[in-house]
Amino acid sequence: MNRHNVVKTVAACLAGILSLGMLGACGNQGKDASGSTIIKFGIHVANPKKQEAVTYDIVQAFNKKHKGKYKVVFEASDKESHSKNMKLEASDGTLPQLFWIDASEAPEYSKSGALLDLRDFLKKNPSVAKAIAGGKDSFEDKQTGQYGLPYQSNVQGFFYNKGIIDKLGIPYPNDDTTYEQLMETLPKIKAGGYTPIAIGSKNSSYTMWEFNELLVRYGWQDNLKKIKAGKEQFNNPDFIKAFDKIEGLAKAGAFPENVSTIEYFDAKQQFNDGKAALFGSGQWDCAEFDSSLGDKVGFWWGPKFSDSSYDQNVSMRVPANPIVVNKAVGDDVAMKAGVYAFLKFYYGEEAAKMSYAKSTFPATNYPGLKATSSQYAMNEMLKALGKNWPSPASAPDLTLDAASQQALYDAIFGVIQGTYTPSAGLSKIDQAWKISHK
Amino acid sequence: MRWLSKTRYKVGFLIPTCLVYVIFIIAPIAIAIGYSFTRYSGIGRARFIGLSNYVRLIHDPFFWKSGANTIIIFVVASVLLMILSFFIALLLNNKLRFIDLSKSLIFSPAIIAPIIVGIIWVYILDPKVGIINGLLKAIGLRGWAKQWIGGTVLSPYSIAIIYFWQQLGYLVTIFIAGLKMIPEEVLEAAQIDGATGWQRVRYVVIPMMRSTISTVAVLIITGIFKIFEIVQQTTGGGPNHLSETLVTYSYSMTFTSSDYGYGMSIASVTFLISLALTGLYFIFGRKGE
Amino acid sequence: MLAKRTKRIMYVLIAIITVLVVFPFIWMLVLSFKSNAEILSNPLALPHSLSWGNYVNALKTLDYPRLYANTFMVCLLALAIELVITFLSSFALARMVFDHPNLRRLVYGFLIAGLCVSPFILLFPVYKINIFFGLREQWALVFPYVASSISFNTLLFVGYLQALPPEIDEAAIIDGCSIWDLMIRIILPMTKPVIATVVIFNVLYMWNEYPFASVMLRRQADYTLAMGASFFKGTYTVDYGGIVASSVMIIIPELIFYGLFQKKIVGGMVAGAVKG
Repeated sequence: MNRHNVVKTVAACLAGILSLGMLGACGNQGKDASGSTIIKFGIHVANPKKQEAVTYDIVQAFNKKHKGKYKVVFEASDKESHSKNMKLEASDGTLPQLFWIDASEAPEYSKSGALLDLRDFLKKNPSVAKAIAGGKDSFEDKQTGQYGLPYQSNVQGFFYNKGIIDKLGIPYPNDDTTYEQLMETLPKIKAGGYTPIAIGSKNSSYTMWEFNELLVRYGWQDNLKKIKAGKEQFNNPDFIKAFDKIEGLAKAGAFPENVSTIEYFDAKQQFNDGKAALFGSGQWDCAEFDSSLGDKVGFWWGPKFSDSSYDQNVSMRVPANPIVVNKAVGDDVAMKAGVYAFLKFYYGEEAAKMSYAKSTFPATNYPGLKATSSQYAMNEMLKALGKNWPSPASAPDLTLDAASQQALYDAIFGVIQGTYTPSAGLSKIDQAWKISHK
Repeated sequence: MRWLSKTRYKVGFLIPTCLVYVIFIIAPIAIAIGYSFTRYSGIGRARFIGLSNYVRLIHDPFFWKSGANTIIIFVVASVLLMILSFFIALLLNNKLRFIDLSKSLIFSPAIIAPIIVGIIWVYILDPKVGIINGLLKAIGLRGWAKQWIGGTVLSPYSIAIIYFWQQLGYLVTIFIAGLKMIPEEVLEAAQIDGATGWQRVRYVVIPMMRSTISTVAVLIITGIFKIFEIVQQTTGGGPNHLSETLVTYSYSMTFTSSDYGYGMSIASVTFLISLALTGLYFIFGRKGE
Repeated sequence: MLAKRTKRIMYVLIAIITVLVVFPFIWMLVLSFKSNAEILSNPLALPHSLSWGNYVNALKTLDYPRLYANTFMVCLLALAIELVITFLSSFALARMVFDHPNLRRLVYGFLIAGLCVSPFILLFPVYKINIFFGLREQWALVFPYVASSISFNTLLFVGYLQALPPEIDEAAIIDGCSIWDLMIRIILPMTKPVIATVVIFNVLYMWNEYPFASVMLRRQADYTLAMGASFFKGTYTVDYGGIVASSVMIIIPELIFYGLFQKKIVGGMVAGAVKG
């Protein structure tokens, strides 16, 4: 029984493990071989070249322009891993200089002091501030300042297949089409052998973009303000009316039978294949529909509701999730200059043009930018935007914290699948909200 | 042997393993359990909230639902696996032609990544695009076509079947190995004594395979509490958390809803249940040895 | 020995079981030759033509030599460490004399308990522990993998080592062997079959492991094979063809590996697992 030996062995083992660790650890340099400052950009897809092509193009153009000085490189992983990784890196100070983050999580980062206040950047670049305009408001906090800027603009609503609608001999949906009119067409669409509205919930409950407009048309912002003040709850008469409409659609068979086992991608394919008449989505799918449906693609904000007292003339061009800057960038003059240069380029006119070329709405507004005539889907969206109806400052689902947001998604799909009544679904959001705001 | 069993050897041999185990398994569990008493979004600071997460868990219908689903999967999968893998092993333990080929083919599902297992089975069980309902409808049994996955009832049963498929070859292999340990003479003697096939299995094979059976039991018990990718790929826990298991629900709370503290309280409870079941098995199940 | 009729029934049964088990595989192979749109819109139909498009696409998207090399490297490092340490500890638990038998049982149970741990509970804490020890890149994976293998290895090694007759040790001691001689020259060679089993199961686990890999690895240059599938699924796009084709390419080496060691697996099982 030799205690001395035990201690020795333990020490030796620990030393062994540690030295192995050291072997693996290699320095984290901020510059590459050519002396360029490396700016890491954390992005929510594993393969940005294919999956975020616009951003990839912008980054390549920036790198070319600033060759030898700055180089932006992606730290890329799929959305779930990205979200985990950013949290972990926030805890040990290895966050990339710049990263995409979910709007529901950004305030937490900001509160914990991980993010740089971008008011200074906007002040130095008034042209960018002007081009982004109101889009930046949803990522501003009284205490921590401008913690993020929108990654892009999202235009959300229903795409429809003109080919199917022509064949059935029903009118195209337009800006004044009502819920009742939509309900009347459902049996005809079904009788024609088509799915009225393609949608899938498996691992994709966030794909409820067509319902954002519905929520706004039932007074989302006003009610949320009251809820935040503790004077109202989600389970209120306005939202119950809104959810009743979703239930009505579900009961009328508007959605696919296997909504719970198909993903967003399968639903989209049904629309691509001309098996579904409508599909809720956003501008990110424009390019795909240009090639699958061509000039047969139409775009619609969604039905108007006669039993709502709120303004029905609203559009849905809203800031996407934000990109944010690591606080540590502020302490490194060279790095800060690089990140500012990149942001200036990212929100500049040249980048906006590259965005339009791939049917993506940038976060900025530069007058005179147009889509080409073969960008059918985007032109349809531009047409819908032409009425200049106001858009909310943010899409309803992006105004909630992560847990309440998930509860909203669960509630919508629960009603679609018949596992919740409208009021039961809304109560679930109330529960989640209460826990998060304790 | 006592001669060589000096304490410093024993300690020296055990220390490296125990050290890695404590640092990378035990300490993380302790940390996770620690977080289960906090509110933590994964960013910033965790706030201590005592037992609130556990109180919430008791009142959370989804927690009970995922617990019930886990029990269904546990019962269905363990019964199927125990019985069928044993009988398939008996079958494959005969000297027949192509038997080796068949053995390796049956083992093959065990070697693919669970994430791919899930993807494959979606195309088999999906109510609309899956091959099972396709076949049933084709042969006129439309009424038999069910919502195998994605409905509110059958999902856990389907997940049990998929898990069964994935683990079958693995356990069959272990059983075959166990069968090979039984000396031929014993079986021959039993045959000469006039024992029928079934009697030989019942009174000779099973008693002689006790320890094999207990290894298999431990692997089944602990394995079922780790099923994750299959659920994620087939139903994603949906609709509305109704097909979640304890593990996927904990994952969804932790990473999708960013409620790390609550997620860890579910994970801790799951871990304790699994540990208790394994412990109970060791205490009672192996008494006969 | 077997009657002809029994034999025939057995053949039929085995054939049915084998086909049922293998079917999903075959079907994945079929899917890998269909275009993405075909998989999504008409999954039940046979492919129009034998198209290698998915494979070409997968090869273009992923740097396979690098993925294989990384995965291989992690496996090799983790295996080397875990085999040494778990063999030593299992030897101590299985063959050495403890003054308190309950202490032995306690340590054994403690090490086996790890089988109950789901990896997701460990992700965040292990990440922080890695940082604490300065473990990065591949090393950030190696130790969690080693740790995850301890319970299984202990189960198998201890079971096997306990079953070796104690006379071996006595004979060795009489011959004047030291503990090292006994362990390395005498016991270790007899342990080969169970080592083969342990290697096979651990390699299969590490080859397919995703949760740790996705959290611990930062640079794409370090990615392992299991992370390949994530390259085909974006937020708004998915390439099932690419996922299936890349899965097939991950599985094929595994099948070959298994084919080569198939006899050993059963052999090792005979020796190890079943005596637990």
